[in-house]
Amino acid sequence: MQITPTLGLLLTLSFVVSLLALSALIWAIANKQVHAPDQDDARSIFQPGEGAEIAPPTQPHHFDTERSGIDKSSSGPVMWLIGMGVFWLIYGSIHGLAASLELNLPDLMSGSAQMTFGRMRTVHLNSVIFGWSSQAGLAAIFWIIPRIFHTPLRLGWMVKLGTLIWNLALVAGVAAIANGWTDGLEWLEIPWQIDIALAIGAACFVAPLIATTRARTVHHIYVSGWYFLAAVLWFPVLFVIANIPGLHWGVEQATMNWWFAHNVLGLWLTPLGVGTAYYFIPKIIGKPIYSYAVSLVGFWALALFYSQVGIHHLIGGPVPTWLVTLSIVHSIMMFVPVIAVAINQHVTVARNMWALKASMPLRFIWFGALSYTIASFQGSIEALRSVNTITHFTQYTIGHAHLGAYAFVSLVLFGAIYQIVPRATGKYFPFPRLIGWHFWLVVVGFAIYFFSLTIGGVLQGLAMMDATRPFADSVTLLKPYLEGRSLGGGLMTLGHILLAVNLIALAFTKRTRDLETETMVAAQ
Amino acid sequence: MSKKNKQDPRLPDETFEPYEEPRLIPLPVYWIAIALAIWGVVTLVQTSNAGHFADKERAALGEKTASVASPAASTAAPDTGAGKALFADNCSSCHGDAGEGVADAIPPLHASDVIKAGGASAISQIVMRGIGGPLIVDKANYDGEMPSFSSVLSDTEIAAIADYVATDLNGMNSTVSPDQVAEIRTASEDMDPWDGGAGLASLINGLPPQPASENASAPSPEATATASLASQGTANIWSCASCHGDKGEGTQTVPRLAGLAPAYLAKQLHDFSKGTRISDSMAYVAKSLSETQITELANYYGAMSSPSGAQPALKGDLARGEQLALSGDYSKNVPACFTCHGTSGIGVGAQFPGLAAQQPAYIAHQLAMWAGGARHNSPLGLMAGIGKALSDEDRRAVADYLASLPPAAGNAKTALAVSPTLKETTNVQ
Amino acid sequence: MNRYLPLAIVSLAILAFATLLLVIVPGMQIAADGVAPGLKPYTAAEARGRAVYVSMGCLYCHSQQPRDEAQAPDGERGWGRASVAGDYAYDAPHQLGTMRTGPDLMNIGDRLPSQDWQLTHLYQPRAISNWSIMPAYPFLFTHKDKAGPTDVVVKLPPAYAPKTGVIVANQDALDLVSYLQGMKHDYAPPGDGLRDNGYAQIDARQMPQTDAAKAAQ
Repeated sequence: MQITPTLGLLLTLSFVVSLLALSALIWAIANKQVHAPDQDDARSIFQPGEGAEIAPPTQPHHFDTERSGIDKSSSGPVMWLIGMGVFWLIYGSIHGLAASLELNLPDLMSGSAQMTFGRMRTVHLNSVIFGWSSQAGLAAIFWIIPRIFHTPLRLGWMVKLGTLIWNLALVAGVAAIANGWTDGLEWLEIPWQIDIALAIGAACFVAPLIATTRARTVHHIYVSGWYFLAAVLWFPVLFVIANIPGLHWGVEQATMNWWFAHNVLGLWLTPLGVGTAYYFIPKIIGKPIYSYAVSLVGFWALALFYSQVGIHHLIGGPVPTWLVTLSIVHSIMMFVPVIAVAINQHVTVARNMWALKASMPLRFIWFGALSYTIASFQGSIEALRSVNTITHFTQYTIGHAHLGAYAFVSLVLFGAIYQIVPRATGKYFPFPRLIGWHFWLVVVGFAIYFFSLTIGGVLQGLAMMDATRPFADSVTLLKPYLEGRSLGGGLMTLGHILLAVNLIALAFTKRTRDLETETMVAAQ
Repeated sequence: MSKKNKQDPRLPDETFEPYEEPRLIPLPVYWIAIALAIWGVVTLVQTSNAGHFADKERAALGEKTASVASPAASTAAPDTGAGKALFADNCSSCHGDAGEGVADAIPPLHASDVIKAGGASAISQIVMRGIGGPLIVDKANYDGEMPSFSSVLSDTEIAAIADYVATDLNGMNSTVSPDQVAEIRTASEDMDPWDGGAGLASLINGLPPQPASENASAPSPEATATASLASQGTANIWSCASCHGDKGEGTQTVPRLAGLAPAYLAKQLHDFSKGTRISDSMAYVAKSLSETQITELANYYGAMSSPSGAQPALKGDLARGEQLALSGDYSKNVPACFTCHGTSGIGVGAQFPGLAAQQPAYIAHQLAMWAGGARHNSPLGLMAGIGKALSDEDRRAVADYLASLPPAAGNAKTALAVSPTLKETTNVQ
Repeated sequence: MNRYLPLAIVSLAILAFATLLLVIVPGMQIAADGVAPGLKPYTAAEARGRAVYVSMGCLYCHSQQPRDEAQAPDGERGWGRASVAGDYAYDAPHQLGTMRTGPDLMNIGDRLPSQDWQLTHLYQPRAISNWSIMPAYPFLFTHKDKAGPTDVVVKLPPAYAPKTGVIVANQDALDLVSYLQGMKHDYAPPGDGLRDNGYAQIDARQMPQTDAAKAAQ
């Protein structure tokens, strides 16, 4: 391969150039705003915008979204998305739990093809990623974007239409998978014919956001907005390129597969979670984020580094060495944006620990933000060749995936739901104590889940690396840890049911919270 | 702000807008980012250099593997000195350094009447297919087995050996070209070894008188039943051949059975059945076999001669493997494999199975299982100690070396007696 | 930041850059590498069996990518040589996999070539290995009173056999087994085949040190 050394040097060069370009970009933006606060965009933060008559000039950084009618414009679509999201959460959790039980009791559900492990697990993944996290995340986006832009949501009907198309397509997709019609790639199982409908649904979500952004009355875009606006552009591009039929084959398809699958996490779910946490942490506490410059580093470094980590799923596989090394380097570089986000979010919480006691939503969101830091550090370390060789084909990876997609993204979204729903519906949750139960069930359940798979996965990996141990050892030693996983998963599912119970009960209660603002926190 | 929040002065009011304070980036963030960036550049540069090296090395290895995989493919001109060296490496361990043979055991190749009648072409035929059964050379009787070397030697190498034996050892003016050997290879594909002198008589005109073949008689009903068991299985067990191959040559971790001592095979089947040797699939099979079936299957495979189905596949160091097989490694307290398993790894008795032409993955895996204790049915625990002493590289080296050897031929004389009482009671199945 | 258009353009440019590096350039390199010499296209039965493999989700527990001996003892387990990009030239969708809850299957046809074994194992893995946690696939088989002339009867131990009649493999099961039997990548790999050599490189870097240590002894 004559191409390799040249390619390697080009790669190094492009890495250096992209780092320099990124630094220059951040330096230019930060400098403009930090050192010249009287410039246009900096001053705009202090502009009260349309809410000027509501928030007096003596109180900058205050704006009553409820009174200005902004929340009213978005509450309909947001509640649609939350309702459907929680439905898929329950549906997906039950499938996940069933798939886990199938590994404990393999003959339990072997009667029909629809219930075989390979399909139950796949239905679980697609339900929770595209049904739950994506829709709950979109709900947070549609709630937050109009608020930070001080303008009502535009094209709200389109969001509802999109929700309808998205869920119908998802039902079709999940039914297809259960009956054996699949594209056969991890994270891309839904047949491409059905993906067309999903792409149309996605377009119905993107258009209202762009319309709302164009109509904004504030000059400055708050950090949550960067994450959301970039994510809603990234996801459709990823989704469409990855699903073009007939374009990808063989090992090239494998690199595309992991470029897509990790970018769904990195450039879709992560921005949803980070953006939501960036909004609600200061909002609930009532104190600003630590540093604007640091948040710039966090965002742009995430975009540059996260987009290139995917091939660490193919370490030791039949793909070019340079490509694997590139993804490993970028995985390690992920320390930079994660540290930046950690400083911004954790410092704000750490200075206001009292708020954790006062606000249940904040407790969920803070736990999620903490999990983001831990999951990302773990992910970077896991990409190192020496660590990866042990953990690569094991349950450790499943534990890590759930630390990211569940303990981080889902916990943040739980918090967001508990924060948004009373304000969007004007009702209190009828069973505030269940919120506490929900928190502790998912935290304890997740801890059992995570430590079972992490410890079991390492032992499994060590057994497989040891030629003197038969393969059967790696299976038999894992069994108690898989049982632990089912226990943890069961507790988590129970927590989700409590959320659903609260939401359903809320739907049947009368309106009790009309424009009242004194009780901020959903449960105290 | 018409409503006043009177509950907790620290609780924010709904109208608070999140914003970011205009603080500078903390210095440690710079340090970490710069350190990581330097590490990243170093790692990428290292890969681009090392990648070139590894590709070169693998290309060389690929060529080597390719030449091992298809010996017939090499077409280099035969070298006059090469024949002698190849003879020393491949033939002299049995036939003697000068082809003098061993009285009553191994026929001579020096001034031999059979060779003089057949010439270089007949030698190529015998090397290619092997030979077994009664044979008369220079008026002396022999009844041994010679394995096929088709998997071990290329056409060029066989031609060089044949030329060397015909011209140098027998003073003939007879040679054979690699192309002719290639034709012989094609023609003798899937053929059994020559059936002793009787078989050779059909090949060589003017051969001295030869004894009659022992294989002429029609197979007995028991033999037919065993062959059917081996190739078809029964109503509830799989056939032997479906994994071990039609010729018992094995594949990957499924071992070669052809030519292993019946006593060894029967002991392993018993061990699988009792659980003293662990294999899920073999336990399933062995538990369903009757005593008679075990004995007959052991005899069936013990008498079977078939070409090697193995070739080095684990990227082992063949020189290191040869060293371990022939002389062991005293620094590790590992004796030579062949001190127990017989010259050229042909096997000795019930306890020391033949290793020559065994599947490399099987040998390496079994050595690892001895080391880890998952296999523990050797007499005196000899193999456990050896397994533990060998490193991963050693296991692969010796496995690949053994795979490069010609297989031991089947031997019907080591057959176990089938007890007539058992036969009556267990033949129901 | 206060403008949306530049934000959108730079964000998408970064994604395009990542796509170039992770998908387009490797795709060109892999395409240039071509088909591994010795690799045969799937037969009709194997292709149908592969579709069954995909639809059952075998991929979620079984990888198809043996590792290098510098990294792991896959070869010693009989899983075959380290695979290269050219070995997958006819695969769409690819089934490389990321889990080894079960063993690697890249060379299962080489390691366990028996159709009968595979059918028994698919019908009930625990008939062979009591520790196995693999799903059973009884729905790929039919319980019949008597096997027809072309039926393939599954061999089962008494504990798992039906009380009366026989278990017969459906076409899906036979196709799936054809696919598994065809999973043989035992031909010599192309010398310049593409694969991740990272672990071999680490080995090569450490080699001079071990050699020096040996010389010192």
